[in-house]
Amino acid sequence: MARPRIEGLDPSDLELRNATYQVFVELGRAPSIEELAAARGQPVDVVRDGWRRLHEAHALVVDHETSELLMANPFAARATDFRVYAEERTWFANCAWDAFGIGAALGVDSVIETVCPDCSDPIQISVTAGVPDDLASVFHVLVPAAQWWNDITHT
Amino acid sequence: MLLFRSEEHVNRWLAGRPRGAILSTAELSDLATAWWGDRLAIDWKPHTREQNQRILEDLGLTGPFWDLGS
Repeated sequence: MARPRIEGLDPSDLELRNATYQVFVELGRAPSIEELAAARGQPVDVVRDGWRRLHEAHALVVDHETSELLMANPFAARATDFRVYAEERTWFANCAWDAFGIGAALGVDSVIETVCPDCSDPIQISVTAGVPDDLASVFHVLVPAAQWWNDITHT
Repeated sequence: MLLFRSEEHVNRWLAGRPRGAILSTAELSDLATAWWGDRLAIDWKPHTREQNQRILEDLGLTGPFWDLGS
């Protein structure tokens, strides 16, 4: 749900971004700076600086202190309450919207697991050809769209 | 951006705080497909604000709450 900004991105940044996503999908988790640098045969500074530019462009989100990945939306780098199963792999998602987005981005069926924040009961939703099997559960977005990027961890 | 067992659970969880917006899981799936469907495309380009606003509008998500701002 990031607000798009593309200033300052060149083709090598976009290539780094695509490689980051590709490895994220393959691993089922976020690659570290060192892992991606090794995979690409590049110095770690090249990946770190590229991720920083991609962060500034809202193309992914890095940790300010470590420069490691926090989010490559819809994929989450850290364990969250949203787990997505697809193609015999699993990923964490940043929120419910992103959880549905992982299957959509991969173009495959998926199963989403989370818990109801009110009662803590588990919620499991299978999405087949874009159609969820649980029509009783509902999605709530707390803050208005204009604040989504500023409140990216609290929406 | 959370999933609840029902609207009743949303209201109880809010405990009087202002409510945001509620979508069905079918609406959320349609939104996610339109928003994220091209995310892994090799020729991916960031959506413009106008593209994203159109995605919301096409799904009937209009009004101040869904205005992405400038």
